[in-house]
Amino acid sequence: MKKADVQQGTLALMVLKTLDVLGPLHGWGIARRIEQISGDLLSVNQGTLYPVLLRLEQEGAVASDWGASENNRRARFYRLTRAGRRQLQSETQDWQQTADIMARFLNATEESLS
Amino acid sequence: MRLLNRFLARLRNASTGSRNDQRLREELDQHIALQIEENLRAGMPPAEARRQAILKLGAVQPLRESYHAEEGLPFVETLLADLRYATRMLRKSPGFTIVAIATLALGIGANAAIFTLLNAIMLRNLPVADPKSLVRLGNDNSCCVGMGMRDNGDYSLFTTASYQYFRDNLPEFDSLAAIQAGFAYRPVAARRDDSDQPARAVMGEFVSGNYFRTLGLSAPAGRLLVDRDDTSDAPFTAVMSYETWKTVYNGDPSIIGSTFRINTRSVTVVGIAPAGFYGDRMLTTPPEFYLPIASMPAIANVSYVYNSDSQWLYIIGRLKPGIDKAQLQQKVTTLLHQQLATTPRYSSQEQKTQLKKARVILTRGGGGIQAMQEDYNSHLLLLMAASGLVLLIACANIANLLLVRGVARKTEMSVRTALGAARGRIVRQLLTESVLLSALGGLAGLAVAYAGTRMLLALAFPGARNMPIHASPSLEVLAFAFGLSLFTGILFGIAPAWMASRSEPADALRSGARSTASGASILQRSLVVFQAALSLVLLVGAGLFAQSLSKLQHINLRLDASNRSIIHIDPQTAGYLPSQVGDLYRTITDRLHSIPGVEKVGISSYTPMEDNNDQWSVMVQGKPDPHRSASVIRVSPEYFDSVGTRVLAGRNIGLEDTPSSTTVAVVNKTFVKDFFKPGESPIGQHFGGPKHVNDFQIVGVVDDTAYTDARDDDHPMFFAALMQREASDTDPIDKDTSLYSKAIVLATDRPVPDMEELARRTLSAINPNLSIVKFQTFAAQIHDQFTEDRLLARLTMLFGALALLLAALGLYGVTSYTVVRRTPEIGIRMALGAEKASVIRMVMRSAMLQALVGLILGAPIAYFCIRLIKSQLYLISSVGLGVMSGSIAVLLAAAVIAGAIPARRAASINPAQTLRTE
Repeated sequence: MKKADVQQGTLALMVLKTLDVLGPLHGWGIARRIEQISGDLLSVNQGTLYPVLLRLEQEGAVASDWGASENNRRARFYRLTRAGRRQLQSETQDWQQTADIMARFLNATEESLS
Repeated sequence: MRLLNRFLARLRNASTGSRNDQRLREELDQHIALQIEENLRAGMPPAEARRQAILKLGAVQPLRESYHAEEGLPFVETLLADLRYATRMLRKSPGFTIVAIATLALGIGANAAIFTLLNAIMLRNLPVADPKSLVRLGNDNSCCVGMGMRDNGDYSLFTTASYQYFRDNLPEFDSLAAIQAGFAYRPVAARRDDSDQPARAVMGEFVSGNYFRTLGLSAPAGRLLVDRDDTSDAPFTAVMSYETWKTVYNGDPSIIGSTFRINTRSVTVVGIAPAGFYGDRMLTTPPEFYLPIASMPAIANVSYVYNSDSQWLYIIGRLKPGIDKAQLQQKVTTLLHQQLATTPRYSSQEQKTQLKKARVILTRGGGGIQAMQEDYNSHLLLLMAASGLVLLIACANIANLLLVRGVARKTEMSVRTALGAARGRIVRQLLTESVLLSALGGLAGLAVAYAGTRMLLALAFPGARNMPIHASPSLEVLAFAFGLSLFTGILFGIAPAWMASRSEPADALRSGARSTASGASILQRSLVVFQAALSLVLLVGAGLFAQSLSKLQHINLRLDASNRSIIHIDPQTAGYLPSQVGDLYRTITDRLHSIPGVEKVGISSYTPMEDNNDQWSVMVQGKPDPHRSASVIRVSPEYFDSVGTRVLAGRNIGLEDTPSSTTVAVVNKTFVKDFFKPGESPIGQHFGGPKHVNDFQIVGVVDDTAYTDARDDDHPMFFAALMQREASDTDPIDKDTSLYSKAIVLATDRPVPDMEELARRTLSAINPNLSIVKFQTFAAQIHDQFTEDRLLARLTMLFGALALLLAALGLYGVTSYTVVRRTPEIGIRMALGAEKASVIRMVMRSAMLQALVGLILGAPIAYFCIRLIKSQLYLISSVGLGVMSGSIAVLLAAAVIAGAIPARRAASINPAQTLRTE
């Protein structure tokens, strides 16, 4: 139960970052990008992306619209909203902080504690 | 913010019913299409490309579910789906559903009925503005006119002077009102002035002018009493109750401002009290008129209103916000000391030191005077407990039924589990079925509650007029019934749901499992044991109350009630002066004697078993003051014969005892026992109040007839002549209201059916204002005194019978079920040579074992519970052998019957047939 929650949270953040970097994209494109960068995440069960996208849309972080994909197919494109950009910034900051603290702790085992 | 957005989006989806199925389908199609293209580019053959694309996407169904979980309100939607399914399931087995709903309706309805009463009597506040700020001076409901200090020094009844002193010296109160404590014992005769209807004896309450203002009420018609009405030179005014206005006078607007004759005095009705207002206390007959205290001496013709010693008022006031109650209580006590110190009773220094003990305790005033609540508190709680037990037994039955259903639906549950349903999901769905069942039971239970409340009101308060309790369910009762249904549903549903959801799918899906099934599970049998134990407790309780009632009804009251009637009149309100009543009594006796069939006519202050009493402190001349009191009644010469009291020594009060001869008294046996040494003859001795021991000369001794109440242990009484006044009484005769005797006892030689009408005509012929306040046969009057005890005995027996029936049904159900499950085994046994008798023995042994274990568990609980109900029983302090063995016998008999029917069915099993159906 807990694992899924963490997954969803990080997945949502990855989606936002992807949209931020690559601009508006359809579901398959986002999945591919995340697969490329993360390696093992979303190499299977790519469908789990779509509930996350729906949730982000309901939260107001992304907006979606129909458009034409590369091969001229109809696809739903997602783009970052202003609220989404703000959410991305604040969550990025949180992750950086967490990563720093953890790094300090994990390195502290080598030094002696005075 | 995000959470809110999500929730709003979910709400929007749920309400519009939009589903993004279409959208998801399209997006998935696009996704697969794009993936296929990539795969083709990578060189896979088309079929492989498609297959890999689909695999990469992942499982579709869980995806659809988690997608759908993001939109809409999944909880509500699954709940609705569960409800629809549950309704279908219940419809498919109508027999089970009807039995379950009926059982629940009875259980929940009984509880709701008693709760209606509990809520209306115990929990409700007065129908006034802001009950929370009302404070009462006093913590006791002693009634009605008293003098002096009680043993514990607490004051709850006050004199008029005390009230006025408080009112003028307590600015902490917005307003302080005084109300007559004992109006229920002093009906008034009311008649509209210009009508020819005879006067009706009704409740009239005397209150201070600021009564309605203190309670924060306003009149729907006319006006309410104000301070101006409560002055000595004000014209007589009154306020009529809304109920009376509507029911007796049909809401006639001309009532307002019209003149009424209250106790023959002209009174103007200035307005109507608010609808739904029933006064300051719960009564079976609420006041019909409210009158100002200033008019009481003239209208009620009593002498104690402005007597500095007579305590007859309760006091309630509205407190200003922010007042410290502890400080206020101290101040009120101090004020009381100050005021009492100015009265003759506490004039000497020694008496003033006694005052230190006096105190006033402030209590919550929002509930009014809680006299009835005191009486009924323990009864209502007892009934609530009993109905709660019955409901528990009913729940156990339904739980058992559900367990059986669960077994029958094992296949269904196994299929669900095999298809991936989580255990919690299955439990939730089964619980929804249970709650739906009990909700339906609760709904039906409201009808039972309505009927039950009406029955309860009729049994508990016969002769109530406009009592402010309604049988129709109020909001609180509805909430209670709803909450109880919910709780019940979860209670009996949780265990069966848990058991049913536990399944080994492979096991159950294997058909035709030929195993020696063990019959009913431990859980089922434990439930039956539980039911048996509770039933025993209720049966014992019923037995105890029946025993108590029987004891009460067989008390030797030492009177004769056959062919006797009691007539209550009120010469005081009919306008007679004390100097005139002597002639009146003679006339009444003569005229009533002339009615054919009448043998004896007795006149007295009050009669036996009327719940009335008048007590004086007395001591015997020549003996030390025993600090005791005795009850006193004035009687006419024929009185003892008319009630059937035997004269044991000396003589009766006779015609020779006139106002000018020696003041005599007849005492009862207990008086002799309490005031004289054994063997001493009281005849000829004198007694009287502590200051006038010479007042009465004893001329006779009578037997101890029960006067206040059957329970009352004999207490000393003395009987004075109707018109003789104590030697020491030098006040003018017209101030002596003790000369008003209000009861006539008629003894006839045969039953006279229209006695009431004959008596009424005779009395109005003497004086049209002499109306009959109350007419009852002596037997009926005595019967009335046992209303409460009869009510308890009947209800506990009803609950006991209900519990027994439910427990027997439970045992029957489980035993039948066992037989059905073990049919193959029984078939094999019989085929191998077992006799019918041994099969019956086998089944009965299991059934009786459950009953016995239940008895063993229930008996100590029953013994323990007696401690809780001892106070409501008469002379019973432990469970007697008779009651216990009787209850056990009844329970065992029911168990035998419940077990015998399935046992016989088991014995008639055809072995060949059962083996064939495998």
